[in-house]
Amino acid sequence: MSHCYQQQPARCQTAPPGAPFHQWSFTDGTLWTQFYRRHDGYLLRFPDLADFEVSADGAVIQSFPAPGVDLSTVEHLYLNQVLPLALSRQNRLVLHGSAVDIQGQGVAFLGESGRGKSTLAASFATEGTRFLTDDGLLLDWVSDDCRILPSHPSIRLWADSEDALMPAATPRAAAVSFTSKARFLAGRRIPFCSQSRPLRRAYFLGSGDVDATIIEALRPAQAAAELVKHSFLLDIEAREHLARHFEDITRLAAFPICFSLDYPRRYEALREVRQTIMRHTLGHWITADHDRS
Amino acid sequence: MNLTNTVSIPPQVMARTVGEETVLLDLASGTYFGLDPVGTRIWQLISEGKTVAAVCDNMLAEFDVSRDTLEADVMHLLGELRDKGLVNAA
Repeated sequence: MSHCYQQQPARCQTAPPGAPFHQWSFTDGTLWTQFYRRHDGYLLRFPDLADFEVSADGAVIQSFPAPGVDLSTVEHLYLNQVLPLALSRQNRLVLHGSAVDIQGQGVAFLGESGRGKSTLAASFATEGTRFLTDDGLLLDWVSDDCRILPSHPSIRLWADSEDALMPAATPRAAAVSFTSKARFLAGRRIPFCSQSRPLRRAYFLGSGDVDATIIEALRPAQAAAELVKHSFLLDIEAREHLARHFEDITRLAAFPICFSLDYPRRYEALREVRQTIMRHTLGHWITADHDRS
Repeated sequence: MNLTNTVSIPPQVMARTVGEETVLLDLASGTYFGLDPVGTRIWQLISEGKTVAAVCDNMLAEFDVSRDTLEADVMHLLGELRDKGLVNAA
């Protein structure tokens, strides 16, 4: 895996030739990202924020801020949106998820925006459990072991989660223009795990409409469907990459590590949620060790 | 879909068995589809080029179910797969 990122001078967002082959919008219909095919790769447009040109193999990414957009905003888009998509062009499995290192075991939390991935990771981190990623869960197969690779050492939180969880004076990155989320930098207050960890649990977060913490195993086909739903894929029409992605997804889904997780979205409940997750993650491995001995 | 049809799998459809289930992907449309253990067995049988009637005969020997119920369930599933472009019927 290799990639080169180049920041270019600002330029106006003129209409690209042709129509986008794909686009992302918010639930209110606001356009977020347009995907265009170019002769040598892809153009990803974030309207009024930045363009990113990505080579066909995902190895070279160039950013072009819209006039007046600060570099922090562009870097933020690069790290959280563009890089995971570009890595998918290198046949890397990248999912929408956060992850923490629980006593050497990689534990991932996957879900749609707003489901609490970052809040849960931050909740662990502020209690001393190191985090591996806040979003953009990059996985790597080492023989038959699927490992979580550490990502950017920062966690993004909305103001309410910041108020509830973050210690005072936690270092933060410069603000960005398109979101009020703050990005907190790893360090003493929120420790980061810079080594890969074996993926032992993948929890898919529910809506929070429950009275207690509930964990349920997913059947393999359910797990595959959830993994697909939470994947970064730049070009969903590229058959070769889609086939490779399918192989990775079904290989991962065959391991009994995928669960649904739901819990009341109250900050005071997070301690109990963490304890339940730790028991669920570590209990299995303790039992497995005893069974082997 | 009827009992005399032979069902085939288009070349752009990938299938992988995970546990006792099967996940299908149509590379042309990007459509994913999950089959439970019974659907997985039906998929195995149509992969062998059997007619719908032959699939039902095999299933009747393996599952405790009436022929009417089984044939209805098999044709319902195969009709759904055909509508999604995951199988062809001739």
